[in-house]
This record gives sequence, structure tokens and C-alpha cells, in this order.
Amino acid sequence: MNGIERIKAAISFQKQDHVPVMPQVFGHAAILSAVTLDDYIRDGDLLARCQLNAQEFYGYDAVFALMDVYVESEAMGSVLVYQADRYPTVKAYAADVSGLNNLTVPDPYRDGRMPELIKAAAYLRREVGNNVLVVGCVLGPMTLAVQLLGMEKAIYLAIDEPEQFTRLLDFATSVIIRFGSAQLEAGVHLPVVFDPASSPDVIPPQFFREFILPRLKQVFESFKQAGSAVNWLHTTGPVEPILPFYTQAGVELFNIDYCVSPLNAMQALPQTCLNGNIKPVSFIEKTPAEIKAESSNLIDLFAKRGGFILSSGCEIPPESKPENIAAMVSAARGDGEQCQR
Amino acid sequence: MDLLIKTLLDGDQAQAILEVNKLRDAGFSQQRIITEGVEKAMEQLDAKCTLEQFNLLEIMLCGRAVMGVMKELFPPDAPHPPQTRGAVVVAALEGDVHDLGKNILKMVFTAKGYRVVDCGKDCPLDRFIDSAEQETAFVVGISGLITTIIPQLRRVRDSMNERGLGHIKLIAGGAVLKQFSAESLNVDYVAQNAFDGLHYLDQIAGDKK
Repeated sequence: MNGIERIKAAISFQKQDHVPVMPQVFGHAAILSAVTLDDYIRDGDLLARCQLNAQEFYGYDAVFALMDVYVESEAMGSVLVYQADRYPTVKAYAADVSGLNNLTVPDPYRDGRMPELIKAAAYLRREVGNNVLVVGCVLGPMTLAVQLLGMEKAIYLAIDEPEQFTRLLDFATSVIIRFGSAQLEAGVHLPVVFDPASSPDVIPPQFFREFILPRLKQVFESFKQAGSAVNWLHTTGPVEPILPFYTQAGVELFNIDYCVSPLNAMQALPQTCLNGNIKPVSFIEKTPAEIKAESSNLIDLFAKRGGFILSSGCEIPPESKPENIAAMVSAARGDGEQCQR
Repeated sequence: MDLLIKTLLDGDQAQAILEVNKLRDAGFSQQRIITEGVEKAMEQLDAKCTLEQFNLLEIMLCGRAVMGVMKELFPPDAPHPPQTRGAVVVAALEGDVHDLGKNILKMVFTAKGYRVVDCGKDCPLDRFIDSAEQETAFVVGISGLITTIIPQLRRVRDSMNERGLGHIKLIAGGAVLKQFSAESLNVDYVAQNAFDGLHYLDQIAGDKK
């Protein structure tokens, strides 16, 4: 089985030769190739080459055309500060509450770094074909609303002026669909929808149900129509209270963060493939033996049920130890077991 | 007072300020409004967050209402600043421009009667320690959302010790930092959320008395 066959089998709860493994290696790929993060997130071809190097080095099952969480908002006017050794930060948000009506949906082939991300997607797909999963990335509606205004303004707007906030979410949804569809056209097998701001540690579950769920559903329906292989949602934090909503949204693969009990997630989403959930900082702090043991525990936990992809709870920090990532991949392949036989 | 507590918990800033003014007209002192109104509301929010779910939206709304009430009771140029349980200096260190977590800490600590000195985001280490010394803080708090500030954070304890400030407790918190142990970050406590930080603060303030 190749990577994509392995992942597709896991999604549909079919047997695989071994558990698929999809470490969320983003900026770490730059460090591994001795490239600055700053260059990596601004140059699509370079990003793709680093991703390919990392995939070849570790031998996992997916590559990511993913820069950072500011690609969309920068394309709409947010001003970022770039630094060599870290992800950019926001100097000024794209909009103020009074200027929301002036926002326009960005052109993925023209605005900000969107064209570079599209370039990375095309490069990766050209190189790996259907052997390895090519994953693009869009923000979810709540996270994009937050990135356009800033967290505090977005949340106060939701409460003080719900109608305007609803219009902002609808606008964000249009941006997401346009950008994700362009990524699919460029060759990604799917764009992961990254929506950490819709986590229950940010908004209450009722708020998620009323404001976010219908828009996530709209996004996933559009992506399916545009050819997305799998509807993958990534929400960080303690998501247990909203897990049952994800099937209604059309989620087929859900990333569980390190703070979520895999057993609870399995119970809430019995028909949904799950990926996760090793604590991201463990890849900095722990030893390969510890990572391998944690990985094996997760594999054992899901062995009977299936529908599992071994991964980290969120992004593997760029400065992680390569031997720890290798240990996770090795555990998925069952290398240790083969040695013992 | 119950109406004040309810409006604060609802995050209704305008109504909370109206309730404060009604209480003052009825002869309630500033201190009583704080201890019987604001602090009670925060206790209920704390209990709710512990029992159910820590939720940024509710905390922010309640915090905004509390800060509005505090400003109403103690305008910045008021002749009699509120009595406090001690000074706490908070910051996001140089290189980290995420200040939401710090702002939440500030609201929660202020509501509980601590004097919070905010060094802002992207704060150089020296300035942070200078503030801790000048303000005679008994606790300092650092909120962090990115791993790149960790080497800097690990130096804070030693830098404070060198300046004779070893008695000041150091708390870290924030989405990234809370994944680490206190020992690994070289701090006294890693707060899982703002109220967890508050409990630690209360414990230290209690020990101090």
C-alpha cells in the first residue's frame, strides 16, 4: 500500500498494511532542510521542496501545502511582521468593525501569499502524484473571523452586534470556499479546515451549533463538490462537548488534540476516522523511546475499532527532535515488532 | 447586589454600571460593592468554568463588564485608589505579540482585588524585571503562545534571583506554555487557565499574610 491508499483505507475503516502516520510537520520541514521559516512560508516552490525532503527523510504518508494561519487575512489587508526563525505575527488586522463591509473576497491567484501556496500545492502533487496525500489548508469560519478583526473585537462583535457578526462569518465562508477550491484545482487531495477558534475553550457549544456548524457544513459540501478526497477538520483544545456535531457538518476525519481522550472521541464519533493525538511539545521534550511507546499505545487502543491515523495533537513544533518524529513513524510501521519477531 | 452579580455574569457592561450606581446611591461603599458584588460574580464564574468548561467568550464578556465597573468605581484619576491584595506584574515576553491570555489574566486578577501592572506584549526581560521590582510585586505572570520564547522564559527566574528578587513567585501560562512542566520552564507554577492562576495567587497571598 502507498500512503494515500493507506489513509483512504483508514478513513473507510478498511484494513491497512500498517497504521497510516501523518505527523503534522509544517515549519519543521524548513529547519530540516536548513532553510529559514521566513523563506519557507513565503516561497511556494521552496516550501514544496522542504516538504518533499522531510517526507523522504521520515517516510510518512502526507505532505502539507501549509504556511501559517495568516495567509487569508494577509491577502485581505492584515499587516504581518516577518522574522527569520519564527512564524509571522500580526501588526495590524485587516479590518475594523466599521470597515467590515469594505472587505472583498481575495483572489487566490493574485493576493498576498495565496498564489505561493497554490504553487506549493501544484508542485507537491506533481511530484508525489497519488502515492502520498497532499494536504492544503484553509482556516475555519470562526478562526478567519478572528484573524480579520482580532480575537477580542471578533468576540465582542458576536455579542454586541450579532447580525454584523453573522455577515462576517458568511463572508469568511465565501473566502474559505474560494481558497480551498483553488487549492483543490491546483492538486491537493484535500484542504484541512483548521478552526481552533471554534473550540469550546473559546466559544460555548451552543454558539458553535448556531453560528459555526451550518457554515462548516457549507464549506465541506463545497469541497466535496470540488473533488476533495476527505473532509478533514482540525480543531484544537477540549472538544468533547461539540464532537457529536461534527458528523452533521460532514466531517470524515477529525484531528484530536492531546487533551482529548481518544476513548471519548471514539465513543462520540464511532464512524469517523480520527487522527492524533501525541502532545506537540513531547517532540521537543521526550525521548524517542517515550514517543514510540506513546505511539504504540495509541495504535493498540484503536486496533480493534480501526479508523485511525497516527499523528500529533497539533503542529509538531519546528524545533522538535527529528529522532522523535522518526520514532513515531517507526511505531506506525511496526518496526519494533518486526525486530522482535 | 444580586442584580449586579447577574449582570456581571451575563457580561452586560452597561447594565452592570447602572447597578453599581444604584448601589452607591443606596449607600453601599466601593469596597462592599467589590467584595459582595464583583468578587462574588467572579467566584461563580470560576466555579462554572471549573465544573463545565473554561470558555473564553464568557470570561471576556464578564471581564469587560468587571473592568467597566472597576473604572466606574475607581476612575483613573480618583483620589483614593482601591485597596489591593498585592501587586502582580504580567507580560508577554519580547518576541511574543499575543496578548489575549495576558489580558484575561489581568481582568480576572483585578476583579479579585489584586493590583495588576501590565507590561504589555513584546516586553523585554529587563523591563519586566524592573517593573516587578519597582511595583514590589509578589507574583509575576508570563503568558506565552509560541515556543520560541521558552529559552527567554527559562532565564527569568535566574535573572530575578540575581537582582535579589528570588522571593517573587513566577507563573507561566498560555496555550503553548501550559503543555510544559514548571520544572522544565524554570518557573514556580504553570497555570492551566486564568482561574487556575488565580487559585495559585490566592494561595501565595494567603501564605504571605
